Amino acid sequence: MARYYLVFSKNGYAVYTSHLDMQRFFKRAFARAEIELAFSNGFNPHPKMSFAQPLSLGYSSQSEYLEFQTKEQMPAEQIKSRLAEVMPEGIGILRCVQLPDNGKSLAAMCVAASYRIFIRWDEDEMGCRADKFDMRGFLDQKEILVLKRMKKKKEPKEIDIKSKIREIEWAAQDNIIIMSTKLDAGSDSNLSPDLLIQAIGRYTGAVIPPENVEISRVDMELDGLNQ
Amino acid sequence: MSTIHIESLLKKVEKPGRYIGGEFNEIRKDHAAAGTTFAFAFPDLYEIGMSYMGMQILYNIINHEESLLCERVFAPAVDMEKLMREEGVPLFALESKTPVREFDVLGFTLQYEMSFTNMLNMLDLAGIPLHADERGADAPLIIAGGPCAYDPEPLADFVDVFLIGDGEESLPAFLKLYGEYKAAGKSRKAFLQEAVKIQGVYVPRFYEPVYNEDGTLKEVRKLYDGAPDRVRKAMVQELDLAEYPVKPLVPMIEIVQDRAVVELFRGCTRGCRFCQAGMIYRPVRERSPEKIFAIADQVTKNTGQDEMTLLSLSTSDYSHFEEMATDLIDLCTERHVGLSLPSLRLDSFSFKVLNEIQKYRKSGLTFAPEAGTQRLRNVINKNITEENIFSSVRQAIELGWKHIKFYFMMGLPGETLEDLDGIADIAQRVMQLNREMHVAGSSRFNVTVSVSNFVPKAHTPFQWAPQDADFTEKHDYLSAKMKIKGVSFHYHDDPVSRLEAVFARGDRRTGYFLEQAWKNGCKFDSWSENYSAEGWQKAEDAFREKYGYGTDFYRTRERSYEEVLPWDIVDCGVSKAFLMREMEKAKEAVTTDDCRIRCNGCGVNTWAKCPLEGIHG
Repeated sequence: MARYYLVFSKNGYAVYTSHLDMQRFFKRAFARAEIELAFSNGFNPHPKMSFAQPLSLGYSSQSEYLEFQTKEQMPAEQIKSRLAEVMPEGIGILRCVQLPDNGKSLAAMCVAASYRIFIRWDEDEMGCRADKFDMRGFLDQKEILVLKRMKKKKEPKEIDIKSKIREIEWAAQDNIIIMSTKLDAGSDSNLSPDLLIQAIGRYTGAVIPPENVEISRVDMELDGLNQ
Repeated sequence: MSTIHIESLLKKVEKPGRYIGGEFNEIRKDHAAAGTTFAFAFPDLYEIGMSYMGMQILYNIINHEESLLCERVFAPAVDMEKLMREEGVPLFALESKTPVREFDVLGFTLQYEMSFTNMLNMLDLAGIPLHADERGADAPLIIAGGPCAYDPEPLADFVDVFLIGDGEESLPAFLKLYGEYKAAGKSRKAFLQEAVKIQGVYVPRFYEPVYNEDGTLKEVRKLYDGAPDRVRKAMVQELDLAEYPVKPLVPMIEIVQDRAVVELFRGCTRGCRFCQAGMIYRPVRERSPEKIFAIADQVTKNTGQDEMTLLSLSTSDYSHFEEMATDLIDLCTERHVGLSLPSLRLDSFSFKVLNEIQKYRKSGLTFAPEAGTQRLRNVINKNITEENIFSSVRQAIELGWKHIKFYFMMGLPGETLEDLDGIADIAQRVMQLNREMHVAGSSRFNVTVSVSNFVPKAHTPFQWAPQDADFTEKHDYLSAKMKIKGVSFHYHDDPVSRLEAVFARGDRRTGYFLEQAWKNGCKFDSWSENYSAEGWQKAEDAFREKYGYGTDFYRTRERSYEEVLPWDIVDCGVSKAFLMREMEKAKEAVTTDDCRIRCNGCGVNTWAKCPLEGIHG
């Protein structure tokens, strides 16, 4: 057995493939590439393969991490080139790197993710032009509150996301706000960019519709991984 | 060619993956370089249409022709359609996002009657006039095929050309001819007059039905002398020579039948009298075991799919079944591919095979006796005896199966309450048998009984038979009898079965009924949450208003052998004399042998090679 991770990109129409569908997709892609994955033991064996972080439907990404174990050891370069041959449009194989056999899972290492966000700014709705939006004031609030739907509970709960925003840079151009931001991502603390957008809307007293937003994950920070 | 921008719509719909294309093995071609551009439409959701092998077969063949291009179109779900209409986005093809109305030819595959309203809806959504006589040369040519094209008349006002039978040869020939006429700048009329020379091509506008006062057909008048008197279906004689898609599209989202499919053969020698597929796909044509194995090998490699299934009307009737199954099991085991063998006749070999492929996880076993008593099974020529059923059930219980499914039909010609009692009796006795056998875990054992409503179909011995006026009483009767511990009972709603019966044997006038229903908002009629009883009732009223009789005329009326039938224009290859003989035998509850034992003279071998006739005689 050998353990690897793969970095891939997701662009174009492929962004409309859900996390669950990506799991099935990669299982088939490995089979097409004739790379035999190791399987879990038990009544219903499944291939040893998992993503560092799920990606929301509709987001593109330049940096998705998938770890997996193969039955046989093979050069990481070979895995990369074989997979690259069996990808559909929109999914690019960027890197493949071997991992030590025993070690923390990528999901456990993941602490933060960087995003590039475009918001088409509806001047009438938002009450100001994009370049007049007081981002500083937004960030300097004592608390940045959003409503988050909690697992298994029907009522959304109000939470403060301020501490989960690690970095943020912004610019406005032609009534589009372009942001580069690093947010907590992982099992300890996690912030979905959707909530950040919601908070910006809330600050202006408006709702930003999802079709006005483009989100791309540009990087992921994995603690302890030699990236 | 123009491209539509759908990104803003995709962000708002429930399942955007239905509309994006871009699957692995997708074929993209240049519109400008194509002689004929063809949009292949399946009038239902992506998940359903992509599960249909026929589309993959034709998509592959057409795109491999240098001068032809084929892209796919499906019915958008209700949420997507609403947005498309609001934002003025016309129906588009998945590959290039080109509006469907910019293609040369738009073809619908008609797999079931309840997709007819979706077809009209898709034309409308594409911005194409519904009626053939309202369309100019700037609109695509609308064609249709598939099993429902064997009675083309309900759609004859909307469709320019029907292609009847196997499409592997006729469809590319038709599209190439179209390209030649287009390049030469010749008229559509000139093209159609030439196209009728291709086997399987039916052009409704070349024929005019003449009705008697009672609404039955008097005759069908030919309006163009060069059109054939009857249209013989197209048929691929040698399946081994037909191109099979070994690089099928691999969907990104989950579809209904999400697995690799290998087609074994077409046709069936059993001759069940209710079964349209058993008649219209004659003669039986098998792929060779070598070819089947090669396809299975390549398809699993090229898709990476971890499940495979075999396609035919009756898997274990395949001549080299044991050899083929053994080889495929080995191949699939080696590749960690799950193999499923549908429609097996349960003999000792099948049990060995099933026990092998379902070693760890036994799914249900399925039996389709179709009728509850031997007498009625003889009527429908379903040659399965109670002894067959019970000896198989006994073996299944011994081998540890815990779930058995039975399929029956209700409303078959000559059915009595005794036959319904027979259904309950079989379920009861299977449960009883399980109790008596005392195998481990016998308390978990359960039986499912599914009863569908009989729909008489064109080109079958039962094409003259009426459908039951009302299934409700029979449903209630059987429901009361089926309250058996360990048995769950399901039946189909009857409104849909009634509509199916109207369109399965409808004439050109039923197109009006269909159009009215669509105008009343009917679509996705087989999805119970979409079915609009009110919409169909209003359509019924409008039909009665226009023609003076209701659609029960097509459904519950027994037709005489002398009556001119709307689908007589189609020659499915089986003679009407044979169908009449079979109907007469049904009335006497006399069975007909499997064609492998002796030729029963259906007529197909008068014009085609029937390789399996009498081989076991």
